Amino acid sequence: MSQSFDRLFDARGLNCPMPLVNARKQAGQLETGQILKVIASDAGSMADFQGWVKIARNVELLGQETESMDGESVYIHYIKRIA
Amino acid sequence: MEKCLEAAWTVEELLEKLESRLKFFVLDVRKREEFAKFHLEGREALPALNIPYFEILELGGKDEMVDSVIACVERHFAGELPRDRTILSVCATGDTSEYVAQGLGQLGYASANLKGGMKSWGNYHSIRPVVETAALSVYQVSRPARGCLSYVVASGGKALVIDPLRHIQPYRDLARGKGFEIRCVVDTHGHADHISGGPALASATGAPYFLHPYDAIHPMDVLPATIPYNPIRDRQVFRVGQVELEALHIPGHTLGLVALRVGDRYLFSGDSICIGSIARPDLGGKAETWAPLHRRSLLRLLELPGQMLVLPGHYGSLNEGDSSGLFAATLDDLRRRNPGLRALEQETEEGFIRYLLGNLPCFPAEYVDIKRVNVGLRSPSEGEASVLELGKNVCALSGETS
Repeated sequence: MSQSFDRLFDARGLNCPMPLVNARKQAGQLETGQILKVIASDAGSMADFQGWVKIARNVELLGQETESMDGESVYIHYIKRIA
Repeated sequence: MEKCLEAAWTVEELLEKLESRLKFFVLDVRKREEFAKFHLEGREALPALNIPYFEILELGGKDEMVDSVIACVERHFAGELPRDRTILSVCATGDTSEYVAQGLGQLGYASANLKGGMKSWGNYHSIRPVVETAALSVYQVSRPARGCLSYVVASGGKALVIDPLRHIQPYRDLARGKGFEIRCVVDTHGHADHISGGPALASATGAPYFLHPYDAIHPMDVLPATIPYNPIRDRQVFRVGQVELEALHIPGHTLGLVALRVGDRYLFSGDSICIGSIARPDLGGKAETWAPLHRRSLLRLLELPGQMLVLPGHYGSLNEGDSSGLFAATLDDLRRRNPGLRALEQETEEGFIRYLLGNLPCFPAEYVDIKRVNVGLRSPSEGEASVLELGKNVCALSGETS
């Protein structure tokens, strides 16, 4: 997926709950319509971001990907500010 | 300096508190599916609230986790959290729950965090002596989160390990600490609920690994084992120091299930007879064929001396443990209080088979795969193995429903 984005948050090396806590903080600073790309190394972030956007009112999850980066699996989340 | 308002419980301390029936409340902040599949259970029902941490974060609406915990609890959950007992915060690894415990501590709750989270609890092994003398020592090694039991029988500096669980280090540490050498590894049967540590322990110690040949075939795939094993025969005798263990072939739960008896003193019953229940006969997918075999095997076991101490392979609830936390009872005692054995003695053959087939819990899908792993037809990574083994075993019939 070649999704464009407005801001990048590299959360590699951070353990739960920090990828989500900080991604949420950064999403709060986006303008409506802007997109945040989060790169996390925590595999649990996949389900956590899905659960979070279900309850959060101002964001939606455009997509998620798993990639290999520097020899390790990373979990990528595209979050769009919608309100 | 900020005052530390919350306590940290290790998994050892958690087990002590669960066994001693300490009253506490659990706030589990993992996802609902994770909680449903695997959660803390005590001797009695443990009151708990499950709110995923990302919901706490969003409901609290603050930038920082601890601030969100405080805001969320004050606004939404104050009425549901008790003030008269400790609230144990729990997550997968103990990191996120640490923030939750901090928030609760700041709100004035008696607050504690489970160190290492459910991952540590799931992997925790507790070792208790059944008997410890110069001539014979028996240790019960349990994995409380799963209700799995295994044994180390030692005599004269040598040891035989029965049904070792996937993590083999506890057995090696015990052997080193007590000064005996692991000389023989026996699986009472091909397990469906957990990955056997038998082949790995045998290969790490150089001890031979024993399994009944009937269980060296996957019952559904009908494919032979690709792991090396030595076949167990009925009445085969294993010698460890001055002690002899005799194998009794008791098919029913699996076709190759064996019990091991030490004279008239101990009966390692495999999964055949547990404290609060008996084995289910359906995990090979042939319940109606295996149920009559199971009945004949149980009748064979009931002919053994009543004072023999039964040491089972599983338990369903911590409440099956005695006051010292050991899962053991005499055959006579079980004849009186084990609902499965009572049904066996009271019912006709037809009635008992109806009882067996009428009390089957659901069949966990992963059990087919776990049996594959145990005969070498699949080799999961550590991560896959721990997912396969998540949650508590369901190898026995469901409770006293009939």
